[in-house]
Amino acid sequence: MTQIHHEDVPQEEAAPERFRDRITARELHSSRAAASIVAAVLVAGLCLVLLLEALLKAIGQRYWLVDPRDAAAWVHQLPGNVPPLILGASGLLLLFVGLVFFLKAVLPGRLPRHRIPSRRGIVVADNEVIASSLARRARAAANVSREQVLVTVSRNLVEVQLRPTSGMPVDEALVQGVVEDELLRTRIEPVPEVRVHVSSSGVVGQ
Amino acid sequence: MNQTPRTLNRILLAVIGLALALAGGLALALAAVPGLSGWWRSTTERAGAAVESVLAATTLPGQRDSWLWIVLALATLLVMLGMIVWIAQQGRGRASTLAADDVDDGGPGSVALSGALAEQALRGALAERTDIVHATVATYEYRGMPGLRVKVLARKGAAPQVLAEQISDQIEALELVLGRQIPVVVSIGASARTRLGRGDRVH
Repeated sequence: MTQIHHEDVPQEEAAPERFRDRITARELHSSRAAASIVAAVLVAGLCLVLLLEALLKAIGQRYWLVDPRDAAAWVHQLPGNVPPLILGASGLLLLFVGLVFFLKAVLPGRLPRHRIPSRRGIVVADNEVIASSLARRARAAANVSREQVLVTVSRNLVEVQLRPTSGMPVDEALVQGVVEDELLRTRIEPVPEVRVHVSSSGVVGQ
Repeated sequence: MNQTPRTLNRILLAVIGLALALAGGLALALAAVPGLSGWWRSTTERAGAAVESVLAATTLPGQRDSWLWIVLALATLLVMLGMIVWIAQQGRGRASTLAADDVDDGGPGSVALSGALAEQALRGALAERTDIVHATVATYEYRGMPGLRVKVLARKGAAPQVLAEQISDQIEALELVLGRQIPVVVSIGASARTRLGRGDRVH
């Protein structure tokens, strides 16, 4: 009979509030896994070339791609031995790639999501889902079809763009109230500001 | 809810990004400012001389090249291994055991609940809902605590708070069956499938 490993499994009620907060923060922020993998592959590839050249040098063999001493000499004579346009362009490219990695690391990396408070578990919803539910309410209140409402949700702004059916005026205040009501029901924090734009030109034949 | 080392990701990305940006900035400055070439020549000349003297000092008598090349080879090998380990850390944390009872009551054996049990139960319960297009459930472990990760694709127009409420009900029912509380992370998303699908027609 095999001995089953006893694992120490803590209960959730024993877990401090910090555990929940940490998991929530992880859900709402990017893990930067993709950028990390790209950076790691880049560095590993560079190291592979260096490793081969250093090994060949160590065992006294001829170089593989480029002699290290020649490479150093090339770097030493830099602005003169490469057309300035090519040097500048490759420099700009390197600078850009480096900045992308650096900004990925430094910026908060918020995902377009909101936390929905719930009785159990930690629930996060994509802004797209929230927008779609707001659009459904706005559409019902304004009595227009699906194509006439466009809702975008960001961290602290909800924009509703509505094109009314020609000849059927839309009550902007009513739509605003309905969207705000639905937004309050989601209980997202902080509550975004709601802006409703009803376009002046109507749609015919809806 | 996985074990991706996020702080490590940020630190390494910042270091690698800064190094790349510095190299690129230097090349750009050398190309754009002709006055810098004199400074660059003298700096690299001094650096080259220093490297040459170090290489000469570390060359054993009778050998052609310095033993520093072996050190460099080892160092690059270590960095490469480090990068591979770093890649392997991304998205880790899938677990198979949801809960194990370690109460020693004198009886033989022990009880362990497989994550698949809860996964299937929850997936089955969620699949019956009409406002959910697709649901995936997986067991993950974060900081030694196993938990469930639920990904739900909502139908167009479904209210997320209603979904959250219904999923909470399912989780409570599951906990009643399992007899213990488990951390559950639910993310509600919209997929291409829900975007293309028809919205509900009756209000």
